[in-house]
Amino acid sequence: MAKKRLRLTVNGRLLDKEIEESIRLLDVLRDEMLLTGSKEGCGIGECGACTVILDGKAVNSCMVLALSADGGVVETVEGLGRRDKLHPIQAAFLDNHALQCGFCTPGMLMSAKALLDENPNPSEAEIKEAISGNLCRCTGYVQIVDAIKDAAGRSRGQRG
Amino acid sequence: MPRDGPVVKGDSSMIDFTVNGNRWSGEPEAGETLLDFLRERLRLTGTKCGCRTGDCGTCKVLLDGEAVNSCTLLVKKLDGKSIITIEGLAQGDELHPVQKAFVETGAIQCGFCTPGMVIQSAALLLKNPQPSEGEIVAALGNNLCRCTGYVKIVKAVQLAAGLLPASPANPAQGIGAAVPVYDAVNKVTGRLKYLSDMQLPDLAYGKILYSPHAHARIKAIDASQALALPGVLAVATCFNTPQIKYNSALRFERHNIPADEMIFAPVVRFVGDRVAAVAAISPGIAAKAISLIKVDYEVLPAVFESETALRPESPQIQPGGNLVAEIKAEAGNLAEGMAASDYVFTDKLCTPRPSPLALEPHACIANYEEDDKLTVWSTTQNIFAYRILLAQIFSLSQHKVRVIKPPVGGGFGGKLEMTIEPVAAALSKLCRRPVKIELSRQETFFATRIRHSAVIEIKTGVRKDGTMLAQDIKVIANTGAYTSSALNVLGAMSDKAFKQYRIPNLRYLGYPVLTNTPVAGAMRGYGSPQLVLAREVHLDRIAKALQIDPVDFRRRNLVRPGDANPRNGGSLGSCHPLDCLELAAKKFGWYKWKAPSLPAHKKRGIGVAVGLHGNGVYPVHADITTVTLKLNEDGSGIIYTGAQDLGQGLTTIILQIACDTLGMRLEDWTLVDADTETTSWDLGTYASRGAWVAGQAVKSCAGIIAAKIKEKAGQVLNAAPGELTLSQGEIRGPNGVLALRDVVWKMQQEDGRELIASYSQMSSFNPVSYGANFAEVEVDLAQKTIKVLRMAAAYDVGKAINPMLVEGQIEGGIQMGIGYALSEDVKLDASGKVVNASLKQYITPRAEDMPRLDVLLVDNEAEQGNLGAKSIGECATVPVAPAIVNAVVNALGKDIDIFPIDLTALLAQGE
Repeated sequence: MAKKRLRLTVNGRLLDKEIEESIRLLDVLRDEMLLTGSKEGCGIGECGACTVILDGKAVNSCMVLALSADGGVVETVEGLGRRDKLHPIQAAFLDNHALQCGFCTPGMLMSAKALLDENPNPSEAEIKEAISGNLCRCTGYVQIVDAIKDAAGRSRGQRG
Repeated sequence: MPRDGPVVKGDSSMIDFTVNGNRWSGEPEAGETLLDFLRERLRLTGTKCGCRTGDCGTCKVLLDGEAVNSCTLLVKKLDGKSIITIEGLAQGDELHPVQKAFVETGAIQCGFCTPGMVIQSAALLLKNPQPSEGEIVAALGNNLCRCTGYVKIVKAVQLAAGLLPASPANPAQGIGAAVPVYDAVNKVTGRLKYLSDMQLPDLAYGKILYSPHAHARIKAIDASQALALPGVLAVATCFNTPQIKYNSALRFERHNIPADEMIFAPVVRFVGDRVAAVAAISPGIAAKAISLIKVDYEVLPAVFESETALRPESPQIQPGGNLVAEIKAEAGNLAEGMAASDYVFTDKLCTPRPSPLALEPHACIANYEEDDKLTVWSTTQNIFAYRILLAQIFSLSQHKVRVIKPPVGGGFGGKLEMTIEPVAAALSKLCRRPVKIELSRQETFFATRIRHSAVIEIKTGVRKDGTMLAQDIKVIANTGAYTSSALNVLGAMSDKAFKQYRIPNLRYLGYPVLTNTPVAGAMRGYGSPQLVLAREVHLDRIAKALQIDPVDFRRRNLVRPGDANPRNGGSLGSCHPLDCLELAAKKFGWYKWKAPSLPAHKKRGIGVAVGLHGNGVYPVHADITTVTLKLNEDGSGIIYTGAQDLGQGLTTIILQIACDTLGMRLEDWTLVDADTETTSWDLGTYASRGAWVAGQAVKSCAGIIAAKIKEKAGQVLNAAPGELTLSQGEIRGPNGVLALRDVVWKMQQEDGRELIASYSQMSSFNPVSYGANFAEVEVDLAQKTIKVLRMAAAYDVGKAINPMLVEGQIEGGIQMGIGYALSEDVKLDASGKVVNASLKQYITPRAEDMPRLDVLLVDNEAEQGNLGAKSIGECATVPVAPAIVNAVVNALGKDIDIFPIDLTALLAQGE
């Protein structure tokens, strides 16, 4: 299969590499860049565990051919925050006990970030809509919704 | 290791060949060797890399039926060829006859040379199915082994060829059984993963820049060009790494020894001292980047000889001066003893600095993770000490540092002290990726540890009848540029001086001295080889002067069972050097020997020497290990031990001891070992403490488990625990039999009890192991060669837990002793640079250099300890070199003061 050049900015780091046409964005992130925070839960766009932000929009990275994202800007969970400086959404997830096993968490966080980037003050319905593509099997979603509300409040507080 | 960057298309077109019957077709990379191809592209890591220069044979494969070194063979030349690697030799689970024979004869210790040895042996038998011993030895001429002395390897080839009777199957596996090392099959099939075979996701590769100057201050380092090279991840120097001083030989928390080494210091103190290191996405890029680092040095004066370094005008290497310490030990009254003597003899002898030279070069992987958790895999002998040192250097608590020892390809002391691990950790912290450092063979000669060379002045007062009354020993030892284990080696040496001969008035003075030379450290024997070489050569001169037979002279003076240490009155335990002497003298035919008539240019001679070494570090340090045994509900078990096997078979005897007490089989056990996070604290594998301390621990621990089993089984079988015996996975009593699995299941399901026990063994005695060696040599004055023709070697190790492994230790120890006497010495040029850092220039014994051996064990059980067993690992090599030297002196009629023997220089002296 033919290889083509892919230029991608991931968490501020430029990837410039020849890759095969069939490679998914998720594979590039996990296998090429060793960013294994984005999880593969189904491979067919149904669970949201692989959600990343591509050019400002939350996408299932398992459903995106990497070359179709050429020139794009990708944010993954690894770019959100560090242990010593968590992103407000990450901090809110911890404070609200919004994660248990943690496997859906990276995708949830990225969906939440895409939402709050666009809509800093979402209603509960809007939050539920934003994470409707993200399956969680542990939490019953209640504490996740609480966390995103909390995060929105924190972000507003920071801005204020 | 992955190759660098994009594939460079060679001018050759596609090639096509088979590896283990599987076809491979493609384009080789430029300069790609078969070794790299097999290990990196195909992940066939059974083929090992011991030198990369074609001098050790560990990488041998079959090329159309011929054994060849794969490290010097280019893949592009293989079109149409058929390659068989060690992985392809067995047919499924059915081992090749050579593999089977290697396992059965105990020809495998650390296993690192084994794949190459097996391939070479299989190639020989393909061509010559019935080789003579000479033909086998000749065929193995380019394969180095450092553990076995080649004796059992030659035997294995003979067995595979059907030239030896197959030994009857012996089901015994417990104490006293001659079983192979428990991982022998994995070793002989190339399946065992050593450190260099490990891969991790995101692995980066580290290379070290070494000082070209023997002594210099680093004024500045410009790493900009290195950092600009694509693929470079980090450059570590003294300017961006912790400037914490440590001592690489630290043994335990709060161990008080001088700390004068750093990961990278602003002053370099020998040619080969660490200056900087690079992490990159491939070893090739890292090596390229190293060459791009610019260092501005202010060169300082240097000193290389220890006696010179003691002069006040010599350059000072560390702030406290070049004399590390004075180590003094005394018994009786030296002056009175000398005054009462009829004669006083004085000699001054110089011993060399060999490299421990384990076939597996030093390697490590460090992974400094996001949450400040540092995990290090290392080819080490002391995981818990490395944990302390790494925690100190990186300001971490011990629970944030995990050190793991994978299977190690030989240690011999050379892997006791920490060298490259903090470098890899610093690089990993900088680039936040796991970093692997694999030293080249060349680097192992100067960047790790060597034995202390020593100048030994020895003065002895004797009566006319040969009774020694007094001895004064002064040792100036070269510890190299850092203190390292100077105090412990000289201290250990001082201790042995009092445990060999009955010398009532004895003084030992030890002076470890810093010089601008590679760092000295632990090596098999740890002070004993230097002392015993000098003392035994000196004793022969006295015997000659007094016209007393050397064996008679030693017999008169050796310590006897029940003797006390004249220094402190402590018991020497059940010590039998005299029995060793008598047994070996008889086997050797010492008193009957006459020099055969030979051409004038050939001289024969015989020599004797007695050696000794200890068992652990009691009473100098608390000598402790803890072992945990757990039985599963199907009757199998798991042993958790911090004891660190280096290939010598320590964990095999641990398993044997557990089997012995519990009536289980070796295959019933899983071993969890040598991991600071999953096993209990252990002082490390050195000081010949393994069998003595861990062996006793497992014996006691298995005893606790056995008592619990008997208690439960007794209830079921209606018998008192004392009436029950454990054997073959069953508990037998007067009223019936119960399967072990049933007892464990009942304890779990009926009583809610886990069958688990831990036992901490704290040594409270330090017995002495002894050996007496006899050697016959032939010196060829025309060819200027010395050949050791035969040796008889008897040892007192108490009860041999595994006689085959004990023999293996002795045969390997003899090999190392031959090197110590005749050839092994890391040599420096006038600038302090090592000039023989390769297996071409550093001469170590090969199969053809081994003499005919009679290995004998004095039949006894030591009084102390619950096993009646004593150590052999280090003692094995101690008497070897002086026996050979004394034989050469006997042959030539000429005294020798400097070792290893330089025959050319020696013969020139008389001209």
